[in-house]
Amino acid sequence: MDRKVALAICFVFGVVMFIQYFSGSSLARQVNQSILEYWQIVFAFTLVVGIVGVVRTNVQRINKRDDVFFRIVTLAGIIIMPVVALIWGIKADTPFMWMFENIQAPMQATVFALLAFFVASASFRGFRARSVQATVLLVSASIILLSRSALGGILADEIPQFAEWMRNYPSMSARRAILIGIGLGSITTSLRVILGIERTWLGGRR
Amino acid sequence: MKRLHSRHWVFLGLLVVITAAMLLRVPMQLRTSPETQRMFDYLDQLPEGSVILVSFDHEASSLPEIRPIAEALLRHAFERDHKLIGMALLAEGTVIGYRLMEQVAEEYAREYGEDYVYLGFKPQFIAAILSMGESIPATFPEDYLGSPYATLPLAQKVSSYDDVAGVLSITDGSLTTHWIEYGGARYNLRVMAGVTAAMVTTYDPYVSSGQMHAMIGGLRGAAEYEQLIDVGGGGLRGMLAQSTAHLYILLLVIIGNVLYWREKKNKAGKR
Repeated sequence: MDRKVALAICFVFGVVMFIQYFSGSSLARQVNQSILEYWQIVFAFTLVVGIVGVVRTNVQRINKRDDVFFRIVTLAGIIIMPVVALIWGIKADTPFMWMFENIQAPMQATVFALLAFFVASASFRGFRARSVQATVLLVSASIILLSRSALGGILADEIPQFAEWMRNYPSMSARRAILIGIGLGSITTSLRVILGIERTWLGGRR
Repeated sequence: MKRLHSRHWVFLGLLVVITAAMLLRVPMQLRTSPETQRMFDYLDQLPEGSVILVSFDHEASSLPEIRPIAEALLRHAFERDHKLIGMALLAEGTVIGYRLMEQVAEEYAREYGEDYVYLGFKPQFIAAILSMGESIPATFPEDYLGSPYATLPLAQKVSSYDDVAGVLSITDGSLTTHWIEYGGARYNLRVMAGVTAAMVTTYDPYVSSGQMHAMIGGLRGAAEYEQLIDVGGGGLRGMLAQSTAHLYILLLVIIGNVLYWREKKNKAGKR
């Protein structure tokens, strides 16, 4: 019974949202605005579900003595940030924002910056001209790399021009094909969900 | 152990190359790409006082690349006396965007409320974009600082996308796609973007089809833009480091392949 109710809600909202998209009436716009507001409220509840999941998993792992220190840091972050936000707010110049700007942002930038070192290491150890395809990839990547630096234009004008050609033709046609595939796949999946054919979002049971 | 050793040398080499390039500060002259020129021309030719929505749709991790892009675009917009409404679709971009707008507005003596406004973060980006198309005041009843929307002189002139010249999405991911699909397709909002280099090819089809009006990409895009507005910044400063790092990686690829072919030849010789 509960699954039928969920399927009915999904069908009704799917059809209503589909129809209102093509309607210019004021009633349709009001319905749209109300649904969008509820959408954001529902999203807030999904965050709670996510937080409960993270806390539960980490507590279970701590009990099993698995990476205890890192899990305690994770849990401390989950507890401290909302507490600080609740006491002093989340606007500029609050302790919450101080922690974000001085702890979270530098840590994230540091982790992201490490990618440069991994790329350098991987290009030395793994980027080999083992086959014709790999050689084409290697040459293309080298030209793009040069074109995105200041040296491309200095070495030869043809390098940025050729890189632009690669972006505008081979790369873009492949990208477009992927995008069209994604679009068609999204339409099919959406229809299957709205019509109740696809039910894995309910837990996967038939 | 030997393999671990070579990796460490690679890391150390990159560190030396980037540090040396950052210390050198050699002035660079770059060829302006057509897409950067297109973005510049659009902002330059907009009538003075046009309202532009600036959405900071990025995380903190990409700040070194995103910051020069955002600064260059904000500088140009403020210099041309455009009015800016800032916001964020990712929580992490919220304070970063606010700080950037505050800093650049101060450089050009622009006043909060009159010349720029910061609305802050709205969760659930698709719902937020669609909701703003219906009503911006209903989506953001108050600004980031807690002032009611109706009390802000600039905000009073803006009730929906019809009142803005376009949206400038500063992004390190695929969020601009939602601006195109929902803001552009449904509400005819003009979409422009400043994106990280890794995302350039993702957005190329949208620029080519006209669904995205203009785009600047990566540190190079920022550096080109800084040249066009004649204000130096992080783009031009970082270009030498990026260029030498690229050269270093190319050199590693060549050395790696020479070693690979030599090893292959040796093996074939033994058989």
